[in-house]
This record gives sequence, C-alpha cells and structure tokens, in this order.
Amino acid sequence: MSASDDRARTARTTRRGFLSAAAGVAGAVGVAAEASARTAPGALDGATGKDRVRLAFRGRFQNGVACPVQAHTYFAAFDLISEARADVAALMAVWTAAAERLTAGLPLDHGFVSPKASEPDSGEAAELPANRLTVTFGFGPTLFIKDEHDRYGLAARRPEAFIDLPKFVGDQLVPQRTGGDLCVQAQSDDPQAAFHAVRQLARLAEGVAVIRWVQSGFTPSYDAKITPRNLMGFKDGTLNLAAGDSKAMDRFVWVGEEGGPWMRNGTYMVVRPIRIALEHWDRMKLAFQEQTIGRHKASGAPIGAKDEFAPLDLEAKDKDGNGLIAENAHVRLAAPETNDGAQILRRSYTYDNGVSYVAERWPPWRQGMEFDAGLLFICFQRDPRTGFVKLFERMSKFDMMNQFVTHTGGGLFAIPGGAAPGRYIGQALLEA
Amino acid sequence: MLAGLLLAPGAADAAPAGFLETIHKHVTLTSSVTDNGDLNPYAVVVAPVSAGKIQKDDVLVDNFNNISNLQGTGTTIVLYRPSTKQTLLFAKLPQTLPQCPGGVGLTTSMTMLKAGWVIVGSTPSRDGTTATKGDGCLIVIDPEGQPVVAWSGAHIIDPWGNMAVKDDGDHATLFISMAGEGLPSPKVIDPKTGLPVVMNKATILRVRLRVPNGKPPEIIDETVVGDGFSQRADLDNFLLGPTGEALAPDGTLYVTDGLDNLITAIPNALDRTDSAGTGRLVTKGGLLSWPLAMVMTPSGRLLACNGKDGRVVEVDPIAGKQIYAQWIDNDQAQSPPGNGDLFGIALTPDGTGFYYVEDDVNALMRASP
Repeated sequence: MSASDDRARTARTTRRGFLSAAAGVAGAVGVAAEASARTAPGALDGATGKDRVRLAFRGRFQNGVACPVQAHTYFAAFDLISEARADVAALMAVWTAAAERLTAGLPLDHGFVSPKASEPDSGEAAELPANRLTVTFGFGPTLFIKDEHDRYGLAARRPEAFIDLPKFVGDQLVPQRTGGDLCVQAQSDDPQAAFHAVRQLARLAEGVAVIRWVQSGFTPSYDAKITPRNLMGFKDGTLNLAAGDSKAMDRFVWVGEEGGPWMRNGTYMVVRPIRIALEHWDRMKLAFQEQTIGRHKASGAPIGAKDEFAPLDLEAKDKDGNGLIAENAHVRLAAPETNDGAQILRRSYTYDNGVSYVAERWPPWRQGMEFDAGLLFICFQRDPRTGFVKLFERMSKFDMMNQFVTHTGGGLFAIPGGAAPGRYIGQALLEA
Repeated sequence: MLAGLLLAPGAADAAPAGFLETIHKHVTLTSSVTDNGDLNPYAVVVAPVSAGKIQKDDVLVDNFNNISNLQGTGTTIVLYRPSTKQTLLFAKLPQTLPQCPGGVGLTTSMTMLKAGWVIVGSTPSRDGTTATKGDGCLIVIDPEGQPVVAWSGAHIIDPWGNMAVKDDGDHATLFISMAGEGLPSPKVIDPKTGLPVVMNKATILRVRLRVPNGKPPEIIDETVVGDGFSQRADLDNFLLGPTGEALAPDGTLYVTDGLDNLITAIPNALDRTDSAGTGRLVTKGGLLSWPLAMVMTPSGRLLACNGKDGRVVEVDPIAGKQIYAQWIDNDQAQSPPGNGDLFGIALTPDGTGFYYVEDDVNALMRASP
C-alpha cells in the first residue's frame, strides 16, 4: 500500500468516526439538557446557590462575551481539513452539545465519540466544578474564502463587516499563530476546566479540524471593585464598555440585522497576542511610564487628576500649549473622543509563555533571552471596521506604547449568536 | 514621541535671544510608514512649488528601511499636505534601477527643484549593513513620482547627508555629502577603539545642474569642495559620516561631522574650484552629540539635530558659539532620551518653525511657536 493510500484510508476512517460522533449528538443534547435544567436560567446572570459555578450555555448570545471576566482563558484556533460543509455542520453540532455539557460541569459521556480516543472524556475535570466555564465559538474569514476558494459555498453569506484585518504598522504576525477557520474560547475560574474543555473539543474534531494555534491567559484575582493591573503595572480597563449596559452593548457589540440571520445577536472578536518588552519597560522611569500610558500608575487617574475615574481631560494643556496628557499617550489615542466615538468591549488576559530569544524591534534593539509574556488582547464589537480597525489604525502608528509592545499573531472571528435549545451554534449559517 | 520643551543653557555665555526659545509646540503630523511597510524616515523637504502630485508647501519625507526594518532598502517617499492634513504616497521606486546597480535605499539627501523635479540620494544595502552596501546614486523623479534618470559615478558614490541647495530655476547647485566609499562590514573592528574602523574618505560634492525647460536636469559639473571627513560603518546606524549641510547667503557651506562631533565651514563653496579639506572648525562638542541634518534659520543661525540624544542645537556660526539646545524628542525609551531618533530637518515655509522626523516612531513632526 502506498503512503497516499494509507492517508486516504486514515481520512476515511476518521471521517466515519467523526460522523458517528455527530450521530450521537441527539443523545448528548438530551444529557446536556438534563444538566442544563439544574443551571439557573439566563445566559449570563447564571447561577446561585449550589449552581453558582455554572453559567447557562444556551441563550440569545454566546455566553463568553459579556459575562464577568473569569480568571483563566484558553483560546484555540482550528484549521478545517474536511472539504465538506456537512462535516463542518456536524462538528459544530457536536461541539455545541459538548460545550453545553462541559459548561454544566459534566464530563462527556458515551454520546460523544472521539475517533481515536479510548474514552469519551479525558477525565482531568472529573468532580471539578465548571467554575463559571464558558465556551464561545467563532468562524474565521477563511471559513468563507481560503486561497480564493469557497470551499463550503458560504462566501455569499459573509457579512460586509467581516473583513480581512488589514496589516497594521508594526505587525509582526507569525503565520503559525495567526488566523484559523474556527475558534474556541474557553474561560473559567479554574485553568484546568478551561483547558479540559478545549482538549475535549479538539478530540471531537479529529478528521475534520486540527488545532492551528492556542494561547492561554490569566487575570489577577483582584477584588471585583478594583480595576485589574496588567503586566506593565497599570490598571487596565478603567474605561471599558460596561457589559451590563444593554443599550451600549446593542450599539457597539451585538450585531443586528445587518449581518444576515446567522449573525443576529452575534459579535466580532479580535484576538491578538501582544508581546510586551517587560525588561525594557522596567528600565523606564515612572514619570515616563505614566506619560506613555497617559495615567498615573498608582491611582490609575488620568495625568493631572487624582481619581481613577476622573474624566480624561484631553484638552488640558501645559504652559507651552502641549497636551497635559501627551499627544501620543495610549489613553488619548484609545479614547472614544479621539475616535469619532468608537468603542469596543475589551476582555483581555495576561499571557505568560515562559522565555524566548528575542530581538526587540525598537531602539536600543536589545537581544537575548526575555520574557515571552504580555497581553492576550481580546475585544468584541458590532463592526470591526468601526471598532478595532478604526481604533488601532492610528494607535499602531503613533501610540508611545508601541515601543514596548509587538502584536505577534491573532485574528478576527465572527461569533454567531447563541444557540436556542435543540439547535447548534452556527446552524443558521451552515444549514441555510 | 511628544517632545518636551527643555532649554539647556549655553555652555559658557548667558544665552542671547535666539530661534529655539520661540519654539513651544511640537505636533505629530503623520506617519511615514507606507502600505508596503517602508519605515525609518530620513529626509524632510518642503516643496517650493506646485507640480504634478505635489502642491507648494507639501512636505516630502523618504524612508531608509523596508518592511523588514533593514537599513538601505527603503524605496518610498511620502507627501504630507499641511493644508488638508492628508498623507499621500508620492513615489515608490523599484528596488533596483538600471543606473543604480547596487539597488535602492533612500537617504537624507533629497531636494525638490523649482522646476518640479525631485532629486533623492540612494545608499543601498541588501542586509541592512554596509557588508552588502552597493554603489549609491542620485535619482531624479518627475513631479508625478516616476524616476526618470539616475546619476552615479566617480564622485557620486553614496549620497548620504541632507542637501544644501541654491536653486535659480534654470540652474541649480546641490551640495551633498558622500559617506560610505570603501566602508567594510561593521564587523571589521579597529583594535584600538573596539569599534568599526574609521576612514577619512567622506567628501562634500558640489553638483551644478542645468534645468532645461520641461526636461530633467542635467549635470554641468561635479566638484569635490570638501574631503577627508570621518566615516565608519555601524551595526545599528548603518554608517556614520558627514550628514548635515547648510548654505549661508555668503556662500559658506556648513557641514556636520558626527563622528568628530563638530561643525565646520567651507568658504566660498559656490565658486571654489578645489577642496577645502574638512574646512574651518566652527564649533565642537558642548551641546553637540553626533550632529546630523542641519538647516539655517532666516537670521543665519544653524539648527543641528543630534543623533545621540533628542536635542536640536542652535549655533551662531559667525561667532562660532553654541547658543542652546532644545529637546525636541524626549523619548526616554532610549538612553539618553531620543538617542538615534532625529535625522532630517527643514524649516517651515514661513520660517518660524521647523519640520523634523522621529525615527523611533516613524513620524513627521512640526515644531512651532
């Protein structure tokens, strides 16, 4: 038998295995529904009492966009290796059913067949509460067009807003950490619960999709009233959109009718691992760090103010008529006031990938073993053209912080709306 | 990087009234980064006339690096229009031109003639160091941004520093420093200094042009009016050599010599028939810290951009005195602040301020009262 015959047989075998998993979806949904009955209703406000660690999976929106940020994230992008849309649909069906079970804190059972795995669940989350696990699914632009090829007959359903992200000044995107046909964002207050979820989904995808890249992240465990600090030591998120403000969410985050039926109640996610040159940053004097960010480090207040939540006075000038908050300070360039009112919902995490050999791209061009750590930037918006692209186009050119940060990968993903009972995420796209 | 105003006192004398103390505002105008990823702005030129794509008072800025951030590989010139705040791509040259066999990497040498032609210098490299430096050239670009002719030869070797120009319309005289001839790789180290070897081979070339009506300029003659300037390769900065030229109304050409940290004067530069060597010393050390591009103010002061910090230094060339300096780039991400950031400089059309570039953030800036 030739090698190619061997590969073909393997492909057929895995496909059959996968389809049998998909055939088990109905049963799985039943089990998940049983678990779901014990989960408090409502997509986000979740659970009380003994169910306090569970967030409902089903609802109008996917559940990992607007709920209070969990302590851990595990993001995975997948490449589809099947050319059949039915396989993609079956995968989303089985993923939806699995996610519902996992977010309910239940292991996958025999309704879920991974083609090569000996057991339906790998077991590392047995008896582990879900810890507010959310699983959020997205579609990359390459699901619609890849190498100018409309593999799944979906190109016509690609919304206008679902652009290919432009190349930004300073981008150093590593292809192996960029893009993906599908994505999964698992977030939980327990790192193993998040990892476990992606691990099971990856097993279930065998024969249809393969992992392209992953990135884990964490948030520090500050009291809920305290704005968390990022690795630069500054409070991060003071001016974030309030997820509880449904008017603002409808305006800036949730897609309306404009994206077609399958994107109704969906959103667009930009995810970008941003490496921070921590060693370089740590050598900067406090005043310069504050000038770069445009806020005081200790209080988080805008330069010249005392209170973290004091309004950004972008008009305030020094004696020479130059802005008190520096012209290219991070907060000035990110402020809605300087971006025609543009806003996004940020949901970023810190990441730590250990150390690696780095040649910094800014003076003094330091080279050596450095922390490979930074921000897993995640944001959601109704239209990336008026959200991330609008904001970052100017920031990528002028933000003083650019001398310390480098975008090394990421992508733009369409996050469809939530799944009603008996339906799966993306069904309106894949079966329409 | 936003500049903070910080006046340093003169080294010895009480500071007399000068130009820099009138400068208070520093504004970022645009990014020089182009769609093809070129960056590292070098030359700054203000258009004297409207022609083709260019309107009078537009600011032209070229890029020395390509998307890989390799020096000596940039091929683009952007155009900033102050009247509309637009930024346009003026020219994107090919990486190779027949008359520039070494390739194209645009330097601080650039001017626009009143007849509408843009002339820009190229000192190319393939790997961002002088190890692969090719022979340079001067490229003439029409006002639509298309290259029409390029000059190279015995004297036009590596056009490097900012041009000083006397433009009489149908005739023009350019002064261009040529730095880089025979430079080895930056890995060839002088054991005495531990640095790349210094060679005293850089020159100041005068190029006299005839500008026929409607036709590209033609070279009448080339004269080396200064020679023996220091030059050396540098891993971070590609090469170091004389970079600033400013022509006084009396025909004296002032030259910055970064390696020796001084400014010299070449008398009678428009008419002389021989080389003045490195010329007469005007000032040395003090506030200067590796002076690069230089302009002359309407009142005859010199403004020289420091390479090793973010200051511009005002010099009275007649008295040979440094007046003071201003931090126009106080980016503390470098040490000292602004180190390696400044390069090109040009006066605003009204003569009350100046444009300059900040290489650290690839930005065109304006300093004004």
